[in-house]
Amino acid sequence: MSGHYTSPIRDPLIEGNKTYHDITVDLVAATERAPSRAWWIAFGVSVSFLTLGVICMLITIWQGITSWNLNRTIGWGWDITNFVWWIGIGHAGTLISAILLLFRQKWRTGVNRAAEAMTIFAVICAAIFPGIHVGRIWVVFFFFPYPNTRGPLWPNFNSPLLWDVFAISTYFTVSLLFWYTGLVPDFATVRDRAKGLRKKFYNFLSFGWTGSAKHWQRWESLSLVLAGLATPLVLSVHTIVSFDFATSVIPGWHTTIFPPYFVAGAIFSGFAMVLTLMVITRHVLNIKEYITIEHIESMNKVILVTGTIVGVAYLTELFIAWYSGYVYEQFAFFNRALGPYWWAYFGMMACNVLSPQVFWFRKIRRNIWWTFFMSIFVNIGMWFERFVIIGTTLARDYLPSSWSYYVPSFVEIGIFLGTLGIFFTFYLLFTRVAPVVAIAEVKHILKSSGDQYVHGHEQASATAEVVEGSQP
Amino acid sequence: MKTLTISKNHRTVCIAMMAIGVLSLLATFFGADDELHTRFWTNFLHNSVFFTGIALMALFFMAASITAWAGWYVVFKRVWEAFSLFLPVGLVLMVIVAIGNYVGYHHLYHWSDPESVANDALLQGKSGFLNDNWYLLSTLIIGGLWYFLARKIRSLSLAEDEQGENSFEHHRKMRIYAAAALPIVGFTSAAMIWQWVMSIDPHWYSTLFAWYTAASWFVAMICITILIILYLKAQGYFENFNRDHLHDLGKLLFAFSIFWTYLWFSQYMLIWYGNVGEETGYFLTRIKDYPILFYGNLLINFALPFLVLLRNSTKRRNGTMIFVAVVVFLGHWMDIFQLIKPGALHTAHELAGHAHDGAAAEHGTSVTGFIFPHILELGTLIGFVGLFLFVVLTILSKASLEPAKDPYLQESLHHHV
Repeated sequence: MSGHYTSPIRDPLIEGNKTYHDITVDLVAATERAPSRAWWIAFGVSVSFLTLGVICMLITIWQGITSWNLNRTIGWGWDITNFVWWIGIGHAGTLISAILLLFRQKWRTGVNRAAEAMTIFAVICAAIFPGIHVGRIWVVFFFFPYPNTRGPLWPNFNSPLLWDVFAISTYFTVSLLFWYTGLVPDFATVRDRAKGLRKKFYNFLSFGWTGSAKHWQRWESLSLVLAGLATPLVLSVHTIVSFDFATSVIPGWHTTIFPPYFVAGAIFSGFAMVLTLMVITRHVLNIKEYITIEHIESMNKVILVTGTIVGVAYLTELFIAWYSGYVYEQFAFFNRALGPYWWAYFGMMACNVLSPQVFWFRKIRRNIWWTFFMSIFVNIGMWFERFVIIGTTLARDYLPSSWSYYVPSFVEIGIFLGTLGIFFTFYLLFTRVAPVVAIAEVKHILKSSGDQYVHGHEQASATAEVVEGSQP
Repeated sequence: MKTLTISKNHRTVCIAMMAIGVLSLLATFFGADDELHTRFWTNFLHNSVFFTGIALMALFFMAASITAWAGWYVVFKRVWEAFSLFLPVGLVLMVIVAIGNYVGYHHLYHWSDPESVANDALLQGKSGFLNDNWYLLSTLIIGGLWYFLARKIRSLSLAEDEQGENSFEHHRKMRIYAAAALPIVGFTSAAMIWQWVMSIDPHWYSTLFAWYTAASWFVAMICITILIILYLKAQGYFENFNRDHLHDLGKLLFAFSIFWTYLWFSQYMLIWYGNVGEETGYFLTRIKDYPILFYGNLLINFALPFLVLLRNSTKRRNGTMIFVAVVVFLGHWMDIFQLIKPGALHTAHELAGHAHDGAAAEHGTSVTGFIFPHILELGTLIGFVGLFLFVVLTILSKASLEPAKDPYLQESLHHHV
């Protein structure tokens, strides 16, 4: 990454005139002190939700899918909606680590660690849904093709659902490796300040990292290789999720724009969740000098861009449905907007396309409250989007006599709340155990983006201009 | 700061290329063509769409770069400014096509033939969008809007050089126009692509089509950027354009070739998998009747850049980059070729059938210049390249090649990957 020159127009990404030592102290601090009362309360609430989720999952497994309100017409409901929603949220981490790394975005360093962690937890939440939806969870390993004694019985390799298994497990593996690779030197930093058992524990986690030149060299190569692998994965996972729908011939699902549009939507929702978490985390852990308003503003810009891309896709679908001249296609969209689930469609449009437009204003992009509320809005909107695609479309199929309506049972709602519990429980534990901001990477950009250096450059460039101007 | 001076040689070569183009078009029109002049008009439309698209993508990417606070490209940003100012020329060409719809110069679009529309419920359903008036009007309005944005960004960029101060007021204004350009181009380009290109096969539709075509334009834009800069650098200009800038252009070429393939695959695979007759016909025609283009498209535009540019070192070598850029540029030119030719040929067959009172479809139309670009198609391409170069070089010669007061100039001069 180049740090040779930083334009005077750029704002600093690390504030407070930090030294390298300050960075270590500030970012390790959260793992060294006892949890606050607020943390315990949040943890308690999360674990309660988690427990509720586990109970509802047990009901599902015990009683079967009858405990859900799915019916013959609407065979996919909250389960797949939640699955796609969580997978989408799991996109921001790898986008930030891999693609923003390739684009040399320095603001990435402030948020990549937490975003990657969040990715892993979100993918775990997502994976629960197909697992429990199969009904007989004890044969869930049938998902995987492996040499078996079931005769000719194999998973259907032509099915995008099987491709999903591959895509998501690959994505999870690479994201996990990427996240952990980044953590290794930081665990060593924590270790170096620790004593006794804690020291042993962090030494184990850091694989005995010594910080030798050879270690750093290997670490850099590994990061680059993983970034290279992760970049196509960011696109592939949600692409294949979109294939679950688009390979069918159901009007409203069978549309070629689905793959890139799902990816854009996933990045959109992923960033919204990162913002939700970051706005709270930076406040609670007091790391506002590392996750600055600049970081927040950049992420809000990503929200605006991806929200508008999703908007282009919505309107494209709508327009082409009319353009196709195909009555079923036209009806599918008419039904989305004005059918029994119209509220979901308007929720989706309002939260995903219209409301992010407030981020055209710099003041709002840099306002914490707006950011927080908008991030919640987007999370809701993206949930609605998946529900619109799945529930609304299935509710009105080709045969009016089988049209139906669907309201989730308390078990389904409980499982969804449960995954939220799992997600936040993991995240809260993460903030206690690991540095939430990548210490080594933030140190890397200090000289080019620390506020004392950025202001130094301003003067230097002014002098340079004078010198240049004096030349003929 | 060097300013480009167009030598006599440059001018002669450009004019000679344009002359070849005009001769090729004339030869097509008067020689090897059917009575509807389908070959002539498809060649004209193909190249007009292709180069207008390149200009538009330059505007779009420039706007994206400004909005994203990118600094690396500043040493050669004049090239993209010049590309974007090809827009008015491209729009004149497209307006000629639009007027042709009224006057009946050509029969590129089935929906423009009243008799066909009268007997076709689907075309009637689309006539609110696919009609001569809207084609002309949207080309003028939307195209005019694009030109306005390109013009605005360019003039602010020039003004910055002359009156720029340390407060970077010009750059701030430029950011406003650039940010506005993103959604404007994003939304409107789809509408224009549907009309200009997708409606040649008026019964067929695909929601991904606009993004696919735009990706094709974009890769071609990066190719021609590499070629022009390396040429001018060899002539002694752009001395601050270094290997690292080339490397980054190579990365863009590599990445967007893969992105294009991703869109190709998404569109093709979903239509193949769904196996709906109304949709598969589009690809069936291309696989059966245009196999070289269909498979060649993937080889040239995916396999070649992927394999060659995967390594770091190849992206930093002039020779390799020139080779890849030339081939992939032609590859995307042929990609647009295969989007346009089959549908137009089909329409010509149908209309010739009408004209001859229900005579057989194979009547009248020669397929030379449709299955694969022929010598006259290449001649036409040379002409359009000449025109594009002439316009771009002329605009480049009007201001210093390197901006003086861009806030990111120093970053770009010290660019290192």
